[in-house]
Amino acid sequence: MKAKLTIQKTALTAIAAFFTLLALFPLAWVMIAGFKEKTEVLSTPFRFFPKQWLVTNYVDILKDAAFQKAMLTTFGGAVLFAVLSLLVNASAAYVFARLEFRFKTVMWLYVIITMFVPGMAILLTSFIVVNKLGMLDTFAVLVLPGVASAGAMFFIRQFYLNIPLALEEAALIDGAGRIRIFTSVFLPMSYPVFVIVGIGSYLGYWNSFVWPTMTITNPDLYQIMQYLATFRSERSTEMGMLMAGSALSALPTIVLFLIFQKYIISGIKISGLK
Amino acid sequence: MFKKNYRQDNGVAYLLLAPIVILLTIFVVIPFFYSLKVSFYNWSFYQPSVFVGFDNFKFVLEDDLFLNSVWVGIKFTLMVVPASMVVSFLFANVIKGMRKGSASIVKTSIYIPTIISGIVASVIFVFIYDYMGGLANYVLSWFGSEPRAWLADVKTALPSIAVPAIWLGFGLTTLIMLAGLHDIPESYYEAADLEGAGTWQKMWYITVPLMKNIVLFLTVTGFTGAISQYELSLVMTGGGPLDTTTTPNLYILNHFRNDVMVGNSIAASLLLFVVLGSISAIIFKVLNSEKAIDG
Repeated sequence: MKAKLTIQKTALTAIAAFFTLLALFPLAWVMIAGFKEKTEVLSTPFRFFPKQWLVTNYVDILKDAAFQKAMLTTFGGAVLFAVLSLLVNASAAYVFARLEFRFKTVMWLYVIITMFVPGMAILLTSFIVVNKLGMLDTFAVLVLPGVASAGAMFFIRQFYLNIPLALEEAALIDGAGRIRIFTSVFLPMSYPVFVIVGIGSYLGYWNSFVWPTMTITNPDLYQIMQYLATFRSERSTEMGMLMAGSALSALPTIVLFLIFQKYIISGIKISGLK
Repeated sequence: MFKKNYRQDNGVAYLLLAPIVILLTIFVVIPFFYSLKVSFYNWSFYQPSVFVGFDNFKFVLEDDLFLNSVWVGIKFTLMVVPASMVVSFLFANVIKGMRKGSASIVKTSIYIPTIISGIVASVIFVFIYDYMGGLANYVLSWFGSEPRAWLADVKTALPSIAVPAIWLGFGLTTLIMLAGLHDIPESYYEAADLEGAGTWQKMWYITVPLMKNIVLFLTVTGFTGAISQYELSLVMTGGGPLDTTTTPNLYILNHFRNDVMVGNSIAASLLLFVVLGSISAIIFKVLNSEKAIDG
């Protein structure tokens, strides 16, 4: 019995290790392939580790002005996008969680229904709208369209509904206004939910590809995924640099995730599923 | 639907709601009604539009390429969803049995693919499938098989795109399953132990029934996610070979880019919207009801 348990345990550990390595493998591979010599990336037979560890690919891509620009503007855009999205969606979440006003149900339905509109159905007409607004090839076209999100609002509202009323009653009796209560009671308590929603928005912006490709033609405003896709088609011989660039483009999100992983992983629990 | 409070705050409420309502109106509601309108017109960038009634919808439903793309989407979904559900379910059970320290390392590691973009995943997997120096053919060579042109062969192209899709999604699925597993009271298993139930019996008679709602939720979201996938095929194969990897959304996107007849592809996207929208409305209803998960 005991021997059987040990075997079982070893087998389970082996399975866990196998899947964990499998999950990390593609990423590890692209990072390591970035250290290979240009011709070695796809040399036959396949080798996981480089014959010689070279930093040239990483140095070259980091020196590439367009890459630097793409990384910086995408990072700035993603941070701005996340902050705006938190502000806009959290204020609405607070209103729906706590305030009473005329046509509340109508407003609620109006906002929530947008959640069911799939992006593809409005991709082209959104393009026409931003074109008419003269937003093409501006920073605003990257940031603004996705800021308001019924899903994010709903998620934050679920969190606010669980904040006990007692916390704000004292402030209400003292005569604090609703906005004061929002900024001084709700916002400080929002940290866990803001981390989850904020990183979600950040990632959505960082990883987006089709929208930037449609709306940005000025290379100065290329976002990182657009840059990588363009690099891939235009400089297809520079495979080592592409590997290094792909690895570097994933790095900021991975670092961010590692910093906040505790919240994100525990956030899966409060995501309304349970 | 909302309980009455002791005072109304119309001014503040509308002030705080203004940003979300204005932005949603400009970037979602107006485009949506615009799409609705365009779907009834023979509309293009270059000519004045003509009202054509349901012709666009008729055209799409009779277009073999669109029907083919729906079929591709369904096949793709059938490759991605069941595989990731089974793997995630078993793996979540493995993680649950692990010690806390190692469990958290595993959880972090399997979540990392989730945050990788479709573009980077495509770049990586295109290299993995490379005919000459790719890993996939290297592994095949261990078994003495001939190398394959994974992404260029009609038989293997779609499954080859399903693999990165599973890779990108299975971490989150596993963690949601794990959260569900942790909510099953230990006492159920202890009682089963006293009755002498084995590992598989416990899984089949306790875990599976109690995970029903989570599995349902993940199946439905997995389905809508997989059938909407287009980035991987766009970058890895461009929809080829012979349209075997053209998913519905890629079909629509390709028409936006190449066609003058925009009405058709918008009609196609609206048809999909009806199906996918109703599915997500159902999920939302289940989630928003208090008894989302019983047991």
